[in-house]
Amino acid sequence: MATIASEPVPLRPKGRPEGELRPLGGQRSGEAASVGGAHPRRQRTPWDLRSQQVIFGALTAVAVVFLVGPTIVVLLTSFTATESLRFPPQGYSLRWYRALLDADQMQAAAWNSLIVAVWTTLIAVVLGTVAALGIARSRSRFARAADVLFMSPLILPALAFGFAALVYIHRLGLHPSIPLLIVGHVIVCVPFVLRTTIAALAQVDPGLFDASASLGAGRLMTFRRVTLPIIGRGIAAGAFLAFMASFDNVPVSLFLADERTEVLPIHLWQQIDTNLDVRTAAISGVIIVVTIALMIVAERFAGLTRQLSR
Amino acid sequence: MAAAASASRDDWPLALPLAALFIAFFVAPFVVLLSLSLQAEQAARAFSLAQYAKFFGDTFNLSILGSTVWLAVRATLVCMLFGYPIAWVCARAPARWQSLLVFVVVLPILTSVVVRTFAWIVILGREGIMNHALRGLGLVDQPVPLLFTETGVIVVLAQVQMPLMVLPLFATLSRLDPNLGDASSALGAGAWRTFFRVTLPLSTPGLVAGCILVFSACATAFVTQTLIGGARLVYMPLHIYQQAIGANNWPFAAAISIVFTIAVMIVIYALNRTGRASKAYGDHR
Amino acid sequence: MAIEVSRRQFLGAGAAAGLGAMLPRGVRAQGKTLVVATFPGTWNEAHRNLLAPYFKKRTGASVTQSIQLATEQLAKLEAAKGGRPPFDVAILDEPQVLDAAKQGLIAEYPAAKSPNYKDLFPVYQDKWGPKISLQVIGIGYNPNKIKTPPTSYDDLLSPAYKGRVGLTALNSQLGMAFLAELNRIKGGNEGDFDPGFAALKAMLPNVGAVAANLGAYATLWQQEQVDIAPYNFNFVQTLKAKGVPVEFVVPQTGLVGWTTSLHLTTNAVEPDLAVQYIDSHLAADMQSEMEKPPYDIIPTNSKVPLAGAITSTVAKTPADLSKIRGFDWTKINPQRTALIERFNREIRM
Repeated sequence: MATIASEPVPLRPKGRPEGELRPLGGQRSGEAASVGGAHPRRQRTPWDLRSQQVIFGALTAVAVVFLVGPTIVVLLTSFTATESLRFPPQGYSLRWYRALLDADQMQAAAWNSLIVAVWTTLIAVVLGTVAALGIARSRSRFARAADVLFMSPLILPALAFGFAALVYIHRLGLHPSIPLLIVGHVIVCVPFVLRTTIAALAQVDPGLFDASASLGAGRLMTFRRVTLPIIGRGIAAGAFLAFMASFDNVPVSLFLADERTEVLPIHLWQQIDTNLDVRTAAISGVIIVVTIALMIVAERFAGLTRQLSR
Repeated sequence: MAAAASASRDDWPLALPLAALFIAFFVAPFVVLLSLSLQAEQAARAFSLAQYAKFFGDTFNLSILGSTVWLAVRATLVCMLFGYPIAWVCARAPARWQSLLVFVVVLPILTSVVVRTFAWIVILGREGIMNHALRGLGLVDQPVPLLFTETGVIVVLAQVQMPLMVLPLFATLSRLDPNLGDASSALGAGAWRTFFRVTLPLSTPGLVAGCILVFSACATAFVTQTLIGGARLVYMPLHIYQQAIGANNWPFAAAISIVFTIAVMIVIYALNRTGRASKAYGDHR
Repeated sequence: MAIEVSRRQFLGAGAAAGLGAMLPRGVRAQGKTLVVATFPGTWNEAHRNLLAPYFKKRTGASVTQSIQLATEQLAKLEAAKGGRPPFDVAILDEPQVLDAAKQGLIAEYPAAKSPNYKDLFPVYQDKWGPKISLQVIGIGYNPNKIKTPPTSYDDLLSPAYKGRVGLTALNSQLGMAFLAELNRIKGGNEGDFDPGFAALKAMLPNVGAVAANLGAYATLWQQEQVDIAPYNFNFVQTLKAKGVPVEFVVPQTGLVGWTTSLHLTTNAVEPDLAVQYIDSHLAADMQSEMEKPPYDIIPTNSKVPLAGAITSTVAKTPADLSKIRGFDWTKINPQRTALIERFNREIRM
């Protein structure tokens, strides 16, 4: 129930500094009732806002610890000098990282995952970018339907798709192999490329295309010289996400990668499921560090966090 | 926009290559899966609803379906509870901190799911740090079994999938017109009332998007469910895997997969309808 | 422009790497790879740490070991029947060997090509594949938490152990053998499992966790979530070596066990390498290495004397080994699926 103000509504001060906290509701705490004189209703808001900030801040702090904690635990555990997975580790050493050098099978699985991820990303980027161009600004029913179709692997149970793919392959008389695994990965990873590329395309001023066309540039040249530089970072961010999604994929690999084409996540899952091997912690440490490094690169060159928050 | 539409051709044919791939390798497999589920046995190609009868006729199967959906719902709620504040703080933070916070939020989802689940195995055990902390704080006397329990699965699922809730919410919240908040306070509403009457309803699209992504991910989270649930807790993904690979009963596994897919689709449809009921008219960008 | 160039370079490098790596397997400098199956737990570790390097030294080929239970291996071989099997060497327990042979999933073992085969005790030689060990089960317990060692399976029903008993599901041989033994003790036999299930149901209030597989079982022990449970002799030794507090004790009713064997799969991709792999496992020096802690795998080669924890706990001489009781798996096998379903239904926490 809004009370009608007896005084004129105070205007937001112009030229508010960029980096300051912008409240989404309520006033800034502590702000004196300066503009336009004293208002009786202002005196009661600080505790209201303060309590909101405290509660949300506390929940956020817990959530951040919740999000980051396990990663740190694994990293620390990987440096244990003993054979057990207790945390905190009793003694520190690099022995498990050194043991990774002898882990032939783990290395082979990692190599398989890498190859599959690279090919998946290449194909997903090419097909995904082209498709994004097709549907980003189109209003046709086909484009709308295609959009839903392409995004559905993100929503439908990937495990069901993995099994369906296996059944399909068998029906065709084929057997699981690396190329078929790559195709399966492309299906579940291309939505990432599409999402970021479409979002990036939405930022492009359509007038640029008119300008380019009126200057005599063909469609391909327009794409190369005008569109691509603008959406390049969006594509790169999508490519990064697709790569990580493929490298980490379990539900599709569970069915399409068999014993002869072992990939790292399945190998690790098997190891964890059956062993208490500390080498799992060491390879996890490697994966974490590599992920962080790649994320920093993606942030630097593709503005990853910006792309994800569109 | 009208000028652009007349000047440039509609480029929808560009989506045809990918569409062809999807039809050949996404739609077709599901069609084949459906046809397999309508077989009475692996060899017989005759139409039969035997597999579905087998699924729905047994409370064991229905309980697996129910517990999977219920598990995903609870994990989604936990994600909402903790994910909303992060997104809210993220949206209000200055640009420097925003990048860092988004980075922190995104890192888990990019780290291998196996790695993250493995970390929880270390944390949740009876002698793990979770129990040490709980006992240290005097909250419990005996170690609480968290590993291989449903509570443990929910906790781990929530952590593993939370970024999927935060990112859409953050996108929506950062697009909200701050003028609306100011108007609300100018009209006399306190911070909490503004939140519940203005911010929350306006952030519904992001919330719904987050819920859809999280629900689907949690329902199909094979690795987390099996490693933390210990495979005594059988959910739909493991059921499918056991029937497909363990028991070699492909028609039945196909039926389970179809039922699972449809169940997830129903929930998503329901969430979508809830979302559409509240349009985002606060979007000023 | 900077973005264009770096992207092109990245794409080019990636394509080159990808194309190069997708050349046929033979290009990888390591040589051939043999794909085999192995059991979880002690087996996987012994095979990875001992057998794989031994095999590599002998043949120059590396090994990919896929961890699967016997039942899973059979299912996979069955699914691939008629074509290329997913692995060239299968490791099976006694119950599965007959089924595998009947279904044509494994090939007869070419003993002529296997020099170490003749050194096995005759009882461990078999035309479908040599036996590599005997696995026995008893009771495992945490000596830190349980001061008086248990003496029989009935102790698992004792209220003193409420919430601390562990069980494993029936898809593993440990679970199946335990049920069969419990059933026998309570008066049942291979044709009637009701006493066994009744005993398990009576045990339920004591059960702290039921693990679906041996890895989860090991985790339960390490996290001290279970303190007493039926367990394989080998696995207890391996866990002990990892610093987990666990001891093995022979129940009053005696040890029960079954043989484990390696097999060449039908249509194997590298049959010669597969035979060499199996033969390596039969070698006297390999088996005496595996007999040492932390594996304590009971040897089948006549040239390898029993030693270590095996003699103190299981058997002093090979003659003692032959006295260890087994089961009639031909009667139990047909009921396997039904038993598993019954277990999943009735034994729920």
